Amino acid sequence: MKPSRPIDLSSVPPGVQYFLDDEVTLRRSIERDVMSVFAGWGYAEIDLPIFDAYDLFALGMGGDVAALTYRFTARDGTTVALRPDLTSLVARTVATRLRERERPLRLCYTGEVFRADEPRRGRQHEFHQLGIEHVGWASPESDVEILLVALETLSALGLDDARVVLGHAGFFRGVVERIGLDLDAEARLRAFVDRRQSAAVEQCLAPHAPAADCAAFGRLIGLAGGRAVIDEARTLVSNPLSVSALDQLSAVYSTLEHLGLDGLVSIDLGEVAGLDYYTGMTFSIYAPGWGLPLGGGGRYDALLSKYGTDEPAVGFSLSLDWLAGALAARGLDVPRREQPERTALAAGTDLGALFAEAKRLRAEGRTVTIVPQGAEGTAR
Amino acid sequence: MTLTIALAKGRLQDETLSRLARGGVCVAPEDLESRRLRIEDRSGRFRLLLVKPADVPVYVEYGVADAGVCGSDVLAEHDADVHEPLDLGFGRCRLAVAAPVDSAECDYSHVSRLRVATKYPRVAGAYFRHLGVPVELITLSGSVELAPITGLAERIVDLVESGRTLAENGLSVTEVIAEISARLIVNRASYQLKRHEIAQLIALLDPACGQGDRS
Repeated sequence: MKPSRPIDLSSVPPGVQYFLDDEVTLRRSIERDVMSVFAGWGYAEIDLPIFDAYDLFALGMGGDVAALTYRFTARDGTTVALRPDLTSLVARTVATRLRERERPLRLCYTGEVFRADEPRRGRQHEFHQLGIEHVGWASPESDVEILLVALETLSALGLDDARVVLGHAGFFRGVVERIGLDLDAEARLRAFVDRRQSAAVEQCLAPHAPAADCAAFGRLIGLAGGRAVIDEARTLVSNPLSVSALDQLSAVYSTLEHLGLDGLVSIDLGEVAGLDYYTGMTFSIYAPGWGLPLGGGGRYDALLSKYGTDEPAVGFSLSLDWLAGALAARGLDVPRREQPERTALAAGTDLGALFAEAKRLRAEGRTVTIVPQGAEGTAR
Repeated sequence: MTLTIALAKGRLQDETLSRLARGGVCVAPEDLESRRLRIEDRSGRFRLLLVKPADVPVYVEYGVADAGVCGSDVLAEHDADVHEPLDLGFGRCRLAVAAPVDSAECDYSHVSRLRVATKYPRVAGAYFRHLGVPVELITLSGSVELAPITGLAERIVDLVESGRTLAENGLSVTEVIAEISARLIVNRASYQLKRHEIAQLIALLDPACGQGDRS
C-alpha cells in the first residue's frame, strides 16, 4: 500500500476557530449571563439541530444567504445544509409543533451558525449567536419588551455604555412606494441611504420631489438622535406607511423616555440594512471600542407566513464572538475569568485515601487535580 | 473624545490637511516630516493615522480609525462596509479601460477571452462580467501601462487623471467605468457613538460649508 501523504495538522481551514483556556471561560460566562436575562423575561430555550433541509433555509433567508451554506446530500438524496441562521429553524417549529400553543410565544436560543462567506472584518465561517423570538402579538408592548431585554442584557454584561440605534423599515418603504421607484432605482437609493451618502440621496430623489424636500430628506438620513429626528421627519413625509412608522417609533421612544432609558437609544431613519426581512421597528447595537455591531433585531411580520402561519414576530440576536471581543478589548473579561481555588494532590500508594481527600476538597468548592508525586508545586 | 482619522499618504493627505487647517486643526510640520505613522493635531482632538491608500477602508471598517479619507476607487475595490457621508470633491479622476491606440475599439463581440491587467481586479471583473465579456484578470501592483506594450494584456483598467501617462505609452481610454473623487468614510459604530464629533468633522471638510457658498 502506498503511504498516505501526512496531513498538515497546523493548517486550519479559513473561517473556523478553536478556543482554549480563558477565552472559553469568557465565552461560557457571557452565554450564561445572556441566557439568564432571557430566562428572566420568560423566554424558553429551544435547542436546534445543526443541520436541516436546505430548502427550509432558502425559504426563510432568500437565495443570497442560502447560497452561502455548507451543503451536503443526506442518505435519502435530499440536500441538507449546516444551519446558516437559527430563526428559520425557530420559525418552522413555531409553524408546526408549536402551532396550537398559546400566544405570545417566547423562545430563546444559543448556538453556532455556519456561512461559507468571504471571511472579512473578523467574521468567521462559524459564528455564535444568542437571541430571542417573540411570536404572535404585534403590539407596542412587544417592541418595547425586545428593546428592554436587549438593554438589560448589555447591562448584565457590564456594557452600560453600549447604544441601541433604532429605525423602522416602514419609513423608507413608504417613501419608495410614494414616489413609485422601480426595483433598480430602489436598490440604488437604499444603498445610498445605508451609506449615509446624503448628496447622492438628494440627487436620486430629485426627479420625484421638490428640491427643498430632496435636500431635507438627504439631511434627514444623516441625522441620528432623539425625538427631534421624528419631528423633523414628520414635516417631510405624508404617506400613510411612513407616518405610521413614525407613530410606532414615537410610541416606543415615549416609553423609553418614561423609563429614563432614552439616553441609551438613538433614532436613525437611515437604518435600512435588513429591509428585505424586517417590516417594522429595527435596531442595531454598538459599544465604544468595537467597530462592528454587537447585534441587532426588529419586527419581521412577513417571515412566518412563508412557513404557513401568518403571525407577527419580533426578536433580536447578539454575536457571542463580538461580545467576547468587545469585553476583552476593554478589560471587562478579567472578573469573568475568576475560577475556584485549585488544589494539587500528589498521587501516592493509597489511592483510596487520595480520592477520598479529593472528594472532600471538591465538596468544599475547590478544584482538585491529581498530579505525579513531587509536582504539587508546579501544577496549575 | 478624540477622533482617529486614517489618511491616505500622498496628494489626498495634503488636501485633507489643508481643509482641516482651514477649520483650525493644525498638525506640526515636524510631525508630518517625521517618519511617525501616528500623529496628533495640536488641539489633541484628532489623531491621524498615515496609511497606504488601499488600507484606509480596512482601518475604518474595523473601527481602529473612526473616519478616513480615500478615493472612491479604493472604496469600490475594497467593497468597504462603511458610511460615506461626504464627497470631498478633490482628487478627481476616472477609473477607465484603456487599450493600445491602434486597437482601441470598444467592440468585444469577437473576443473569446480578454486579458485585462489592473490594480482593481474586483471592479474590473464586475465591469466585464456586466458586459458579458469573458476576461482573464491579471492583478498588478503598479506600472499597469506596461502590460499592453509587452503583450501581457490586451486591456488595462486603471486610474486616469490627465491621460498623459497613457498617451506616452501609446494607450488611450476606451471606456470610463467610474468618475472618482475623494470621500470621507466613517465607521458604522463611530457614526453612532461619536455623533457630535463626526458631525463636526463633516462640517470641517464639507466643500459646501466653510466657504460660505452653497451654490
